[in-house]
Amino acid sequence: MSGLGGLVVAFFAVFGGMALITGTGVIIESGLRSNISGQRLVHADVLVSAPQSLAQEGDLPVALPERAVVPSELAGELARLDGVASATGDVTFPATPLGDQKGDAAGAGHGWASAALAGGKLVSGRAPRAADEVVVPKGLAVRQGTSVEIVAGGRRGEYQVTGVVNAPDLYFADSTAAELAGRTGGPRADTVDLIALRAAPGTDPATLAEAVQREVGERYEVRTGPAKGDAESPGTAAARGMLIALPSSISGISMLIVGFVVGGGISLSITRQRRDLALLRAAGATPRQVRKLVGVQGMTAAVAALLPGAAAGYYLAAHFGDLLIHLGLLPQELPLTYSPIPAAAAALVLLGVVRLSAWAASISASKMPAVAAVRDAQSEPRQPSAVRFNSGLLIILAAMGLSTMPLFLRGEVAILGPSLGGLLSVIGLALAGPKLVQKATGLLVRMLPARVSPPLWLAVSNTHGYALRTAGAVAALGMVITLGTSNALTHTTVMRATADETARTLRADAVITAPAYGGIPRDLLGEVRALPGVTSAVTASTTTVIGRGLALGDGAESAMARSAMVLGPEARGLVDLGVTKGSLADLKGPSIAIDERSGAVGEHRDLVLGDGAKVRARVVATYSRALGLGPVVLARDLVAGHTTTDLDSTVFVRTADPSALNKLDKRWPALSVASAATSPQAGETSAQLWINIAVLAVLLGYVLVSVANRLVATTAARGTELTAIRRLGATPGQIRSMIRWEALLIALTASVAGLLMSAVPLMFLSIGFLGRPWPAGPLWLAPAAVAVVCAVVGLAYDLPARRLVRRSERVA
Amino acid sequence: MSHVVTLEAVTKKYGELVALDNVSLGFPQGRFVAVMGPSGSGKSTLIQCAAALDQPTSGSVTIGGVDVGSLNETKRTILRREHVGFVFQSYNLLPAITVEENLTLSLRLAGKRPDRAWIGELVERVGLQDRLRHRPAELSGGQQQRAAIVRALAGRPDVVFADEPTGALDLRSAAQVLDLLRGLVDDLGQTVVMVTHDPAAAARAHDALVMADGKVVDVLAEPSAEDLAARLTQLARGGLAVHAVGGVR
Repeated sequence: MSGLGGLVVAFFAVFGGMALITGTGVIIESGLRSNISGQRLVHADVLVSAPQSLAQEGDLPVALPERAVVPSELAGELARLDGVASATGDVTFPATPLGDQKGDAAGAGHGWASAALAGGKLVSGRAPRAADEVVVPKGLAVRQGTSVEIVAGGRRGEYQVTGVVNAPDLYFADSTAAELAGRTGGPRADTVDLIALRAAPGTDPATLAEAVQREVGERYEVRTGPAKGDAESPGTAAARGMLIALPSSISGISMLIVGFVVGGGISLSITRQRRDLALLRAAGATPRQVRKLVGVQGMTAAVAALLPGAAAGYYLAAHFGDLLIHLGLLPQELPLTYSPIPAAAAALVLLGVVRLSAWAASISASKMPAVAAVRDAQSEPRQPSAVRFNSGLLIILAAMGLSTMPLFLRGEVAILGPSLGGLLSVIGLALAGPKLVQKATGLLVRMLPARVSPPLWLAVSNTHGYALRTAGAVAALGMVITLGTSNALTHTTVMRATADETARTLRADAVITAPAYGGIPRDLLGEVRALPGVTSAVTASTTTVIGRGLALGDGAESAMARSAMVLGPEARGLVDLGVTKGSLADLKGPSIAIDERSGAVGEHRDLVLGDGAKVRARVVATYSRALGLGPVVLARDLVAGHTTTDLDSTVFVRTADPSALNKLDKRWPALSVASAATSPQAGETSAQLWINIAVLAVLLGYVLVSVANRLVATTAARGTELTAIRRLGATPGQIRSMIRWEALLIALTASVAGLLMSAVPLMFLSIGFLGRPWPAGPLWLAPAAVAVVCAVVGLAYDLPARRLVRRSERVA
Repeated sequence: MSHVVTLEAVTKKYGELVALDNVSLGFPQGRFVAVMGPSGSGKSTLIQCAAALDQPTSGSVTIGGVDVGSLNETKRTILRREHVGFVFQSYNLLPAITVEENLTLSLRLAGKRPDRAWIGELVERVGLQDRLRHRPAELSGGQQQRAAIVRALAGRPDVVFADEPTGALDLRSAAQVLDLLRGLVDDLGQTVVMVTHDPAAAARAHDALVMADGKVVDVLAEPSAEDLAARLTQLARGGLAVHAVGGVR
């Protein structure tokens, strides 16, 4: 019975661990090899495009989210290859009817030549030929022969509808498309997004792809089948990197927790069997045989948990994927990949953990002399070791030291200090816990007045006497509180600091965006500036830049991709970055402004832009407010021609009369005007907050269930002890009251310890980021976490204790 | 001589098994009584019923003039800690608290202030003065049992029941414990009822009850170990010769 309780605990620990690791594995595998669904060019056999990733030495390649282009003459070269029936250059640009609904997603436009590749056939009318002609999809409420206003490539124009096609998107004459996509001049003159090949009859697409790859060499990527989606939408493909980055940021915590819980569960199930094992030893079993038996038992519980755990893992991953899509972090077109590999890997990891912890836990039980084994099994309270205590204290001290980082460094990297600090201090607490509990409860025992109620006195004495047992529960529950509060509040505090600084940086009264048009139309800025009351208006956009040492704490070796704001020299009046040297007015040509702590004016920096272009930029300004807009700002001239749409994303407006902006609505129905300026990173940060909360909720739920399991098992195993106390004259009520006091003591100790462990790092973080000692965000999280812990402990103690008390009434 | 505990037609059944079969007897004040018998004869059940640790199936048990059967579990517990001390084969010291705290645990549960002088006297008698601050696990078996005896006596109970108190001890420790129990009766007038299957242990008592099949089959006054051993052997062979049934008068 007692052994069974332990095995149940082990089963649940492995079940949860399996679910967590499998789920994480699914996400990672999807990041490595999921295919984009819903391809557009379904009738193309082979797609040739420029590489959309940057190879890095010793690290995963960085995905490039902005479209890298291909020279259009390559189409002619490829058309001459054997087995190629046709080679078509394809471009995509934002194109949306002016009066379209306000929405997030812009429509797309292409040249007519691509229509056939997309499976588009004319339902009626004819192909577009003149510059002002367009073919519209069937679903659009525009009739053939009428004219329609379209915002395409940021230009507004009136087009004649010459036909209706049975494919999505708008189709223009090929030369018009090239112009609207910005391919008739400037840095992207005479290029296309990709070249679509059709294989001649009888030619296998795979064979053709090999031939094409030999022809173009390493410069271009050749894709067939499901992989073609990557060439069509590099932005979507780049989201895959997030799928890998996300789990790797949480895998530290989750592996720690899985190890903690599984190891704890296994060792508990073995401690439960100490007596049986001792008797086995006395009956002549060798230490080896005992270890083997223990191993086999632990393995049985673990193996039984593997399959259901894996199923739960796939289920969790699917829900996590839905959450990512819902938050806009994962494009709908990038479904998760499900294969048995994550489950197999998780099973291997867990069986390893189980074996190791079974071996470690059984070593003392199996090695001691048989007689000592029997005696030791009876005298449960053991003395916590001094080495363990001291190393735990050292770790806690180190953790507290780490968490002072935000006092000296104000930047993204400083968050690492407190979060690592919280994590470390949890480990320290687990180590130092027994002795700490012993000292604290010892003090409590001495301080308790003599006339205190006997159950309370007994409860305090028990937590004191069974310090190891108590500390195990306290450490695990304290971990729940520490990780829960510190993780969430760290994020909200940094978010608040970012928002505050953004508000100080962007002196705008209104912010205009036009996601439905794919970006800010080119004429809009002039119209805004002409409005009454407007004193200044500047455009901005965000893109990705890859470089070394751009932000505080970046390693000098590996290049980091980060999102950066793109501004022009006129931004000076509206954007106050706290410039310390140089001037934003010099943000012309190939130039950048950076965080004052990571560079100096006059330096030259080698950068890679979002489409993979290698550029060299001069630092023309350094600034102090790096938190709001990020550690690097790029000149518009530097980025021109290196983004997918080549359009700005935002207009910041300074105006005496914000209501006048509503006049824009009539001319541009799909614009959105907001009053508050948010950082380009704000959306990402809040999405990350939700991800963190979701992941943390799952992890902490796992910890709580496993702690509850362990508490139930340890309480249920206290039958002999409770019967003994009953025989010494405790009434059933006194026993119940004692158990309740114990539960309360443990829950409160865990709460105090957990809150302390998170309060100290949060205090340093808040001082560093907000200039005050308390964090921003939902402070009710702390009492809520305490309440949850109290409820779980209360139930885990009360339920088995009730049964024991009832039983002890019968056999007392 | 007045009886501290009286059993009246007590029967205890565990399902079909009859552990006590219509037993009536009283335990007189100031006597050291041994209860003997082969395994399964009902001797442990007898003192568990007599000590109000267990409820008889039928019949009545009176402790300190109170009929135990009329009480609920809580009242029974309170009655027990007022009148009865108990010594167990496995000592039943709580491992989490010190020896000294164990000694006063029952009093603490009863909400009574321990009589320090009395407990000090007992501790001196059992020779545990310098072990009080230790944990039970740090004591030898004999020391633990002596501590358990002090605990049983700490509240000056009317009667102390001891269930195989020497069962887990070596000969020397067992002899010390028996000397101690006998001394308590002779010097302090304490009533002690001890269950044992060891004739040598029973021989230290004033009276010995011999049980078989749930009945008291024999009562021997100032028994000798040889007599008891012979009697037990006889019982084990199945040759039942019932001398007297009833009690110690």
